[in-house]
Amino acid sequence: MDEEDEERRRKGLKPRVHAKEASSGARELLQARKHTINLEGMVGKTQVVQSSSAASGQPGFYCKVCDITVKDSMSYLDHINGKNHQRMLNRSMKVAAETVADVIAKLQSLREAKRRQQMAGSEYNFHEQVSKQQQIDQEKRQRRKEARRRRRLAQTYEEESVDGESIDEDDTSKMMEQMLGTASFKSTKK
Amino acid sequence: MANRTVATAQSVHGTNPQYLIEKAYRQRVYDSLYWKEHCFGLTVTGVMEKASELTSIGGCYGTNRRPTEFFCLTLKLLQLQPDRQMIDVLLDQTDFKYLRALAAMYFRLTQPPKDVYEKLEPLYGDYRKLRKRSSDGPFELTFMDEFVDSLLRENFVCFITLPHITKRMVMEDAGVLAPRISPLDEDDDDDNYSSNGENSSVHSSN
Repeated sequence: MDEEDEERRRKGLKPRVHAKEASSGARELLQARKHTINLEGMVGKTQVVQSSSAASGQPGFYCKVCDITVKDSMSYLDHINGKNHQRMLNRSMKVAAETVADVIAKLQSLREAKRRQQMAGSEYNFHEQVSKQQQIDQEKRQRRKEARRRRRLAQTYEEESVDGESIDEDDTSKMMEQMLGTASFKSTKK
Repeated sequence: MANRTVATAQSVHGTNPQYLIEKAYRQRVYDSLYWKEHCFGLTVTGVMEKASELTSIGGCYGTNRRPTEFFCLTLKLLQLQPDRQMIDVLLDQTDFKYLRALAAMYFRLTQPPKDVYEKLEPLYGDYRKLRKRSSDGPFELTFMDEFVDSLLRENFVCFITLPHITKRMVMEDAGVLAPRISPLDEDDDDDNYSSNGENSSVHSSN
């Protein structure tokens, strides 16, 4: 197998991915993911890349386990649910077989969770409510700021085009001009 | 593979249990986000947990036939093939109504007619509201007993062509099932009717 890998390397190919011998036959059973996958977390965000490998720097969804970047979310999910990835995680593709006892136990735990949630809902936690309201207010403030900024930019954009001056100027400089009153040399009487 | 039926499964109505759902709709489920994100690697207890979070029943909706979560979980149960005892537990519980509806659907799809009538008719007494996603998109109101009635009488419920079951009358005539005594008959006894025996015989001759 090592000779085969060397030959492939000489030809410029990647070495073939083999199943781990030590764990053959001792793989875990397939499990559902406990965490939720966040596919939209990086939308609109910029990230500095420290490209440790060629794949990790690429735009798209990066799978650390397999060192692969996938371009779209559906393919990423297919990859995560696929055989190669599970093999990397040392999992077989078979699910655990369950018994009636498991079902009954699960039903009981679901009932209790529901009951606990209802109890927690009825209690009034002052500090929790305060922090929740603070969060809502903060988000509202941020949204208002963003909307105001956008509106101001749109206004200056309009005014620039009306005055006939060049439009590709820096946004911040436009805003400065607007504030200082040097945007246009016409009368600022309203 | 994530989409294959479990290896220990037995054939249901002569086919792979997953094939009870038509190929087109099955493929819609496999391609859906809910299936890939949440239904991967689920066991029966996992399905129970997801079903306890359900808020509607339904088939596929919208112009591009998007599968509901209920539909995805039905396919998942068909894939896992829980045994009769497990499904009985899920049908008997009353805490989670959508889980009960899911179990009723699975029961109707996989079990023989006699068991279907015997096990699902008590659900007529469950009059809780269910939110149903109509095929156009918006939600409708239905009830558990209406849903069970549609399972027992109709051919196409929640975008699944239900396997054929013999009519109740035929089974009664063959002596396989006892004539159905509706719980409402007992209520009639409290009214101004003089003799009780006549009422029940009137109902069973339907």
